[in-house]
Amino acid sequence: MKVTRRRLAGALLVTAAARAQSAAQAAPPRTPEEELKAARARLQAAGDMLTKQEVPMATEPAFQFKA
Amino acid sequence: MAAISDDVFFATIPELSARLKEKQFSAEDLARAFSSRLLQLGPRYNALALALPQQAIRKAQEVDNDLRRNRLRGPLQGIPYAVKDLLAYAGQPTTWGAKPYAAQVFDYNATVIDKLEGVGAVLTGKLSMVELAGGGGYRYPSASLFGPGLNPWDRARWSGGSSSGSGAAVAAGLVPFAIGSETSGSIVTPASFCGVTALRPTYGLVSRYGAMALSWTLDKLGPFARSAEDCGLILQVISGKDGKDPGSAGKSFYYTPQYARPLEDLKVGYAPLDFSDRAEPSARAAFAAALGVLKATGVQLVETKLPQCPYGPTLSTILAAEEASIFETLISSGQVDQLADQAQIAGLKAALDVPAKDYLKAMRIRRLMQDEFSRVFTEVNVLVAPGRSGPAPPIEQRLDVGGPPAPAGTAPGFQGIIPAGNLAGLPALVLPCGFADGLPVALQLVGVPFSENTLLAIGREFQKQTDWHRRRPPGF
Repeated sequence: MKVTRRRLAGALLVTAAARAQSAAQAAPPRTPEEELKAARARLQAAGDMLTKQEVPMATEPAFQFKA
Repeated sequence: MAAISDDVFFATIPELSARLKEKQFSAEDLARAFSSRLLQLGPRYNALALALPQQAIRKAQEVDNDLRRNRLRGPLQGIPYAVKDLLAYAGQPTTWGAKPYAAQVFDYNATVIDKLEGVGAVLTGKLSMVELAGGGGYRYPSASLFGPGLNPWDRARWSGGSSSGSGAAVAAGLVPFAIGSETSGSIVTPASFCGVTALRPTYGLVSRYGAMALSWTLDKLGPFARSAEDCGLILQVISGKDGKDPGSAGKSFYYTPQYARPLEDLKVGYAPLDFSDRAEPSARAAFAAALGVLKATGVQLVETKLPQCPYGPTLSTILAAEEASIFETLISSGQVDQLADQAQIAGLKAALDVPAKDYLKAMRIRRLMQDEFSRVFTEVNVLVAPGRSGPAPPIEQRLDVGGPPAPAGTAPGFQGIIPAGNLAGLPALVLPCGFADGLPVALQLVGVPFSENTLLAIGREFQKQTDWHRRRPPGF
């Protein structure tokens, strides 16, 4: 994975966002619905981060299927 | 029955094996003594899931018969051990640390247990764990059917997880060794917090058959023991090809310290800030001293950078997608609401929503990460970092809040080494390396896939020059 200035800036933004999220986590969610919403938001954020990652078209997933 | 002195409870496998052969005690004596100790003291640390004293005594009697007939099976013959309660043991409950599975019983053994039985090791019990190995993300140490794992060094502190009982049981001398598991941190964390040597093997080296699956592509089983050498002896037994495990690497492991590369030939990459500014203040002196000892083993310390990759989001996406599929019935049926930790419940429910495109993207990024690490390992042979940045937290402390941010402009160091190492399937050896405010801290050595002998060689030399791994909790 080539380290470009864009990628490094993205990583730094994520770090800042993670810190902000940490600060916001001072009080845990109170209800199961709030918990679920928070959990979905975390996974969505992870997915959004991965969407921004450039991956060469030829890169296959790290699992194998064998007949 | 021979009297078993206290030093026996903290002896290494070779020490115990030698004393068995000298007939200082029998395997049955040892099994009775350790079984009794596990039963008596295990609950003190919420470490015990299930005691198996009768089974242990029966097995030990078989071992004594073999020893009388000179049927020798190696250094683990007659040695008591226990396993994390995610390993199936036929006819007995395997709870996975979780209320919905409290009455679950399998009719077969995990491969690891069969292998250990085959060499005459004596199973004395099953050890507590964080419910479902904590995959949904848990907020408190109490996320377990057995309550929070309590640290033998200070019961007001967490033993770490998810292999909570494995770390505590070895630290308190309740078993000479234990088998735990790691998906992301579950061997490294309790070993570090409990001051115990432990090994996370290369992915696929040890069969996962009979172990609860949390993530098919991240789960690994590994030993907690008194020393690096003990870990090598155990890994030799539990490793190897297993057709019943689709992820089996098909490789065996032979513990061969005599053929290890000279340590002077090895380059060990590290980030200095991990041991100073990024470490908790109470741990910095111990980490600085440990680096000095590491250098004294002969290895060359080389300042190194980890590849800049999104380790956390990649791991959390893969873990969520796989665990959601594994536990789909538990989640969809609503039984997931019986779990102890609200964050874990929510995490598992949310995991059902991970889109396939995110999972596949994460697995493709993972491939690139493996390539990046291959490049790192052309420059160095091993990476070293603190096992955790400080000692065990109080048991009432939340686990889902990050520590204070590093000063602006600080290089990231090896903070992502736990998710990174697990994503790339890399082995890690945890070495107790000192104390912070009276609580253990540890190093972790991370290597190239299947380089366990290299890690163990460094570990052995480190442990010749230190005695942190032989220290006992207060009162022992």
